[in-house]
Amino acid sequence: MVKYILKRTAWAFVTLLAVVTVTFFLMRSIPGDPLAGMARALPEETRNAFMAKYGLDKPLFDQYIIYMKGLLTEFDLGESLRYAGRPVLKTITETSPVSGSFGIPALIIGTLTGIILGIVAALKKNKWPDYVVMFLAILGTTLPVFVLISISQWIFGVKLNGLLPPSGWGTPKHMILPIAVSAFGSVATYARYVKASMLDTLDQDYVLTAKAKGLSQFQIITRHVLRNSLMPAITIFAGSVVGVFTGAFVTERMFAIPGIGFYYISSINNYDYTMILGTTVFYAVLFVVMQLILDIVYTLIDPRIRVGGGKK
Amino acid sequence: MKKALSLILVLVMLLTLAACGGESGNDETKGAEGNESAVQYYNTYMTADPTSMDISRISDSYSSGIVNNVMESIVRMGEVDGNYKIIPGDAESWESNAEGTVWTFHLGNNTWSDGQPVTAQDYVYSLQRSADPATGCPNEYFLLPVAGYQEVRDGASLDTLGVKALDEKTLEVTLSYPVPSFLEMCCGTVYYPQRQDIVEQYGEQYGSEPEYCVFNGAYTMESWTHNSSIILKKREGYWNAADVQIENVTVHILGDSSTSYTMYEAGQLDYVGTSAAEWVQKFLAREDTDYVKTYSASVNYAFYNTKDALFQNANIRRAFNMAVDRADLNEVTFGGRSNPATGWVTGAMAVGSTNYREYAGDMIQAMYDDAAANNMTAKDYLLKGMEELGLGNDPLTLDITFSLAGTDEWFRTYGEYLQQTYNTALGIDLKISFSEWGIFSSNLNTGNYQIGYMGWGAYYNDPYDVLSLFMSTNDAIQTGWVNEEFDKLVLEAQSEMDEAKRLELYKQAEEILLLEEYVVNPILFPSSNSFYKNFVQGYATLAFSSGGYQGMTTGGRQ
Repeated sequence: MVKYILKRTAWAFVTLLAVVTVTFFLMRSIPGDPLAGMARALPEETRNAFMAKYGLDKPLFDQYIIYMKGLLTEFDLGESLRYAGRPVLKTITETSPVSGSFGIPALIIGTLTGIILGIVAALKKNKWPDYVVMFLAILGTTLPVFVLISISQWIFGVKLNGLLPPSGWGTPKHMILPIAVSAFGSVATYARYVKASMLDTLDQDYVLTAKAKGLSQFQIITRHVLRNSLMPAITIFAGSVVGVFTGAFVTERMFAIPGIGFYYISSINNYDYTMILGTTVFYAVLFVVMQLILDIVYTLIDPRIRVGGGKK
Repeated sequence: MKKALSLILVLVMLLTLAACGGESGNDETKGAEGNESAVQYYNTYMTADPTSMDISRISDSYSSGIVNNVMESIVRMGEVDGNYKIIPGDAESWESNAEGTVWTFHLGNNTWSDGQPVTAQDYVYSLQRSADPATGCPNEYFLLPVAGYQEVRDGASLDTLGVKALDEKTLEVTLSYPVPSFLEMCCGTVYYPQRQDIVEQYGEQYGSEPEYCVFNGAYTMESWTHNSSIILKKREGYWNAADVQIENVTVHILGDSSTSYTMYEAGQLDYVGTSAAEWVQKFLAREDTDYVKTYSASVNYAFYNTKDALFQNANIRRAFNMAVDRADLNEVTFGGRSNPATGWVTGAMAVGSTNYREYAGDMIQAMYDDAAANNMTAKDYLLKGMEELGLGNDPLTLDITFSLAGTDEWFRTYGEYLQQTYNTALGIDLKISFSEWGIFSSNLNTGNYQIGYMGWGAYYNDPYDVLSLFMSTNDAIQTGWVNEEFDKLVLEAQSEMDEAKRLELYKQAEEILLLEEYVVNPILFPSSNSFYKNFVQGYATLAFSSGGYQGMTTGGRQ
């Protein structure tokens, strides 16, 4: 197991290097530069001073070497080119917990509710609970999040006489709508996945065997069906966790949440090279780590999946 | 295993909720206090986060919108009876020599937020820092008239710059040539003061967070939660603190317009701006709301690459200028909430206290009147131009691409509208290209375009600010157009101390641009539609006012 983890970590590291390298050269191939984002064309000497200040006047490959050196030796992600004086690392460490602070509760609530609703829908297939759940699920996956947010802001902020603030950040009251809205999306996703996989499992021979052995419906569901049908849910759960810490652009923007989602979009539009790389590195690290954890969790819940080719 | 897992999940959930609970309460109590003890507060918003509070490194209107409130300038642009008036800032009084080349400012008793007095040296340092090529200040261009500026740009020592502290409270600025609108320029953020010790103490971080700043304005920045909110607090050390009524200002950062409308309806904002027709109607119907429509300081326009094989011809450019029905475009694409352009210099600009546009008149109408007098239509001018270029007489053979700097829904609709208008009026087969700003901008730089479309926001209140964009020395709008007479007129106007003469010179220059050469096609003067709760009073109604929140009151709040 330890050897397996070490091996996977080494590969993860190689993956990260590749991601950074590809991102570095891809983003620099977009026409334009950080100063093109400013409306007023700047005099040549001002441009040059800016470029020299951030080392953008050096040959591209030298810039890559300098960046990698800084990244690998002291985890230096540099300073934002757009927001003068804001270090990229600081921006990430300050904003991603904010994204997590509403994203994690939303994910947990959403996932648990979604799983329960999915189970209910599968067990009551083609009866009214199934229809209600599937209606909600379709609503949750097709309704654009900005519509959902606009409606909820209007209902709770205006119609119900300011029961909840429509937007803003800093108090528990401000968190309720963002959590509810984000959770709704998860509910929809998980309900659909769990239902489909439950139905699939219910048809398996071993369920029939369990029935034949005379186990109660409850025992069959908890011991045999649930355990096997949660596998796809776990797979998407890993992706969702990464998503939580990389923020939700629309949700954060509409609720004025000082999260990280903004920087993923704005850095590209602003040619904020250091921020693009920083946020990409952060995303890639989270993703790779989650994949590693996921693989380990798989081996724990599913005996068919073994590490090291199943020899030991 | 499963039990342990769910236990951990529940714990994580509780911890996150608890952690958030810890920092709660601030906003709520502040609001409640405001109601009871009648402390005045004001809730407003911006659509994007400011980039920095370092005036040598900013060029966006969001930053200057906050800087304007937390920093004091040497003089301010105030409003009296709907006209501009220069009022004291850090300077109690000021005078210039007869030629308008040497300006002396006598500083009053303002202090910085750390208690230090504001001195003439703070201004000297600030202007030197912005002029220094090593700083890379995006607004340094506005220091152009200051004596020694070009030498400093070319590497001379910073002392060469024509700003001197005669003593602690007397600032002298020497200009290379007379600039009648110099006081207007001084309201721009690049002329604000900076503290050398603070800038050097914080280095790169200076201005990025409130704790790395020092303020000399009516407010201090209490907190800055990036992309969420900025809280300003009245500063007692401000020289005019006695006249500042509003104690607390919350500036929400709301990137989404529908959120700002809901926030206003929910009473969380005291101001909202919109140009969406349906929302304007909705807010107009509210009894608790006042409506203010003003010209913003910007213009939306199309412009031509005069180096292009086709658009080198003035008659062809004229045909394209004439083919747009500005009133119709305003109705169709802006729901009638903008204003058809009547010239290149926007309706917001004044020379002294005379509105420039009122003086110079409607040059777009003049263009149509002239055509009517000659019995010519837009298409006639196109055919005339084609003949001059030897391109035959079939407009359908022309290969013309109109470049738009945007790819979203709005630009698509806009592109379709333009296509239809031009095809109908000129009988051409127009192509539209959509690209992101960065790509659009690099195409302009390389001259790889025919017609482009942009908006321009003016920086300070003088027609020079926008007319100079077409001087051969300026490459901000890459038309490739060079006209010596135009250059001469604009330069002459800029230094003309007599207001009546200056107005006339600017007018002549604008006539070359719009009635002889047709280099640019002004389409709309965007207006800003502002809605304030009735109890908000004293807000600025002119685009270049720099009063900020300090002149406002919210005393009548229920």
